[in-house]
Amino acid sequence: MKILGLDDVTFWYPATANPALENVSLDVAPGDIVALVGRGGAGASTLLLIAAGLAPRVTGGRLAGSVGRGGRAGIVLPTPWTQVSGMAFTVWDEVAFGPANLGWPVHEITRHVDRALERLEIAPLASRDPATLSGGELQRVIIAGILAMDPDLLVLDEPTAELDPEGARAVWRLVRSLAGEGKAVLLATSDVDALPDVADRIVWLEQGSVRAIGAPSLLAEDAMCEAGLGTTVAGLWRAAGLGAPYPLTVVDAVQRWR
Amino acid sequence: MSALHPFSLLAIAAALPAFAWILPAPGGALATALVALGLTLTPGAGPGSTAGWSTPGRRPGFVTFRTALVSAAPFWLFLLLLHDVPTMVRMGLRITTMVASFVWLVAALSPDRLVEAMVARRWSLAMAYLFAATLSAVPILRARARRIVEAQRCRGLSPRGSVANRLRALRALALPLVLSALHEVDERTLALETRGLGTGVRRTPLAAPLDRTAERAGRWALLLLCLAALIWRLA
Amino acid sequence: MALTGALAFDGVAFSYGNVAALSDVSFEVAAGERVALLGRNGAGKSTVVRLVTGLVRPDEGTVWIGDWDTAGRAPEQLAWRVGSLFQHADQQLFARTLREDVSFGPRALGFPAREVQRRTDEALDALGLHASAAQHPYDLSPALRKLAALAGALALEPALLVLDEPTAGLDRAGRARVAEAVREHAGRGAALLVVTHDLAFAAETLQRGIVLDRGRLACDEPLDRLLTSAERLKPLGLVPPPVAALSVALDLPGRPVRERDAAHTLARVAGGRSAS
Repeated sequence: MKILGLDDVTFWYPATANPALENVSLDVAPGDIVALVGRGGAGASTLLLIAAGLAPRVTGGRLAGSVGRGGRAGIVLPTPWTQVSGMAFTVWDEVAFGPANLGWPVHEITRHVDRALERLEIAPLASRDPATLSGGELQRVIIAGILAMDPDLLVLDEPTAELDPEGARAVWRLVRSLAGEGKAVLLATSDVDALPDVADRIVWLEQGSVRAIGAPSLLAEDAMCEAGLGTTVAGLWRAAGLGAPYPLTVVDAVQRWR
Repeated sequence: MSALHPFSLLAIAAALPAFAWILPAPGGALATALVALGLTLTPGAGPGSTAGWSTPGRRPGFVTFRTALVSAAPFWLFLLLLHDVPTMVRMGLRITTMVASFVWLVAALSPDRLVEAMVARRWSLAMAYLFAATLSAVPILRARARRIVEAQRCRGLSPRGSVANRLRALRALALPLVLSALHEVDERTLALETRGLGTGVRRTPLAAPLDRTAERAGRWALLLLCLAALIWRLA
Repeated sequence: MALTGALAFDGVAFSYGNVAALSDVSFEVAAGERVALLGRNGAGKSTVVRLVTGLVRPDEGTVWIGDWDTAGRAPEQLAWRVGSLFQHADQQLFARTLREDVSFGPRALGFPAREVQRRTDEALDALGLHASAAQHPYDLSPALRKLAALAGALALEPALLVLDEPTAGLDRAGRARVAEAVREHAGRGAALLVVTHDLAFAAETLQRGIVLDRGRLACDEPLDRLLTSAERLKPLGLVPPPVAALSVALDLPGRPVRERDAAHTLARVAGGRSAS
C-alpha cells in the first residue's frame, strides 16, 4: 500500500516554458526513507512540494501525469522561519498551531504536542517565545510542529541546514525512528555522507529528471562520484585511483582495507 | 489591560476615534486624545508584546507613548502648513486620537488571543488570521530591519552625516526590507498552508480568552453611547 | 597587548543581559592565517562575530582589529578593515543588479569610480558571478544571492574577513567556489575567521581551529591535529569529518585531513601494500 505514487509526473511553474520536473516516477511505501540527491536547482524542492500536495495547488503551475496518495503529508521547508505561525507566543502553542488548525479535540492535541516536543528534545523550550529562539532551535520547533500533525508521509527539505552536528544527528535518529513506526520519510539533503546510515533508497535528480534510483550504494558509484554527489569516502577512493567498487563509509573502507 | 478580552480592546480602540469625530471639538477631541495617549502609558500588553520592546530599563509604556507622538507629529506639521490654527487643533486632536488608539491597540493586542477569541466565536479563521498577521508582522519586520541595518553598517554605510548620505542610507535599509518581505509573501502563504491553514476545517480553540459578562455589557454600552452621541450631535 | 595581529581578543567577556555569552576569551589571528571558529549552537560563536564587527562592545577586555580598539569605533568605520558575511546574508541585498549590490561597500567607503569598478570586477570574478552580474538579486536562487553577499564583502578588500556559516545551503560546487575565493583572499595577506559547522569545509580550507564551549575557549590548535582527535571533539559536540575519520581509521601516515592529501597518501600506501 503506497503512501505516495508519482506516475510520469511533469511539472511547470506558472509562466515558465521549461518544466521543473520531467517524467518523474517514484513510489514511497510506509516505513520507507527516500532521499533526493542532486545539484542545486535539480528539482528536489519541487518534487518535495508536489509530494506534500502544495504544487500545483498552492504554487500554481501545471502538472501532467498523476499523483496518488495513501495518507496525509506534512512538509518542513528549507526556510523554517517562514513556517512560524506568528500567532503563538510560546513554543508549546507554536507546535499546537497545526493540530489545532486540523480541528482535533484538545486532549489529542496535548498528547501529540507533548510527544513531538519530547522526540525533538525541545521540551525544556516549551514556554519560550519563538521569536527569541536561535535558527537551530526554531528549525526543531517547526519539525515538531509538523510532526505533531501526525502525517503519514514526512517531507523534509534540508532538515539539518541550521543545526550543529549534534542537532543534525538527533534529526537523523528521529527519521529512522519514525520510519520504524511505519511512517514514510521523503527528504532532500546536501549532507550526502549522512545518507548511507539513514536512507533506504536514493533518487538522483538531474535537471528535473530522475537519473537513477537505487540503494545507498548508489552513492559510491563512479557516475555519482564524478558528479560530485557521492560520499566523501567513495570520492577519496576514486581520487586515489583505487579500484571500484568504492567503499561507501569509513566502516566500509576499514573492511576493504583489511 | 492584558486581562481584557480582545474584542473589548478592539471596541475601545474603535470607540475613541468615533467619539473624537462625533463630539464637539476642541473639547471632545482633546478629551479622547488624552484618554488615548493615557492608554499608551498603561503598563504591558499581552504576553508577546515584550518581545518587541528590547531596550532594557525602559517601561514598555513609554515606548508606546513615544511611538504614538512620533506617528502623530507629521500630521500636525501638514495641518499647520495647510490650515489656520483652530482647524489645525481640531483636526490634529482627532487624528492624534486615531493614531494613539491604533498604536495602543498594536501594543496591547496579542494576535494569538485575538485568533482564539475569534475562533471561539466561530468567526472565519481566514479573517482572524488577516488581523493576526498584520499585528504579528511588526516584530518580525522590526527584527529583520535591525539585521539589515547591521549588515549595511558593516559594509560601510553610515546612517549619520549629510542629507544625501541619509537618503542613500534609507534606500539601503528600506529596499532590502521591503523586497525580502514581499518576496516572502509567496513563501509565507505556502508555509502557512503547511501548518494546516486553508483546509476549511474548524480550528480547535486552545485557550479562549475569558469574556466576562461585565465586559460584554461594557462593549454594548460603548456602542450605545456612540450612537447616542451621534444622534445628539445630528439633532 | 601586542598589536601585531590582524585580530586579537584580550580577556573578552560579554553578556546579553544577565546571560553570559563569552567569558575570558583570548586569542590572536595573524595576517594570512585561516581560522575556523567552532562549537555547538549557543557556544558564543555569533557573539564573537558581533564583537569583531563592532556591533557590540565587550563588557570586559578588548577586541583589537589591527591597532584599532573596537570600543572606539563604529561598525561603519571598522568596515575599512573588516569584511563580514552574516547568516541569512541573502536577505540583505537591495540593489537593482547584482553588480550594483556588490559595489555598494566600496562606494559607501568613498572610493573613486575606477577603483570601485576594479574591486567589483575582481570580487565577481572570484566567485564566478559574471554571468549573473546584470540580473536582479531576487531573480536568483538563494545560493547565488549568498555568493553575491560574499562578493560584497570581498569587494571591501578587508584585512580581516569574518564569515558566519558561509557554506550553509550551498551544494558542493557552491562550497568549492567559496573555498577558492577565501583561500585566494587569504593568500593576498588577509586574515580569515570562519564560523562554521561544516568541518569538512574547515578541513579543506582553513588551518587552525578555535573551539568555544559555553562561552569559553576550549581549544586553539591546528585543525589537522584537532579534527583527527575524536576524544577531544566529542565533549565539544563535534565529530571528525569524513576524511579525518578515514585517516584515523586506516591509520594513514601523516593523518591527512584534506581530500587531495588523503587521496595521495591512500594511493601511496595502497601501492606499497600491493607491492609487498
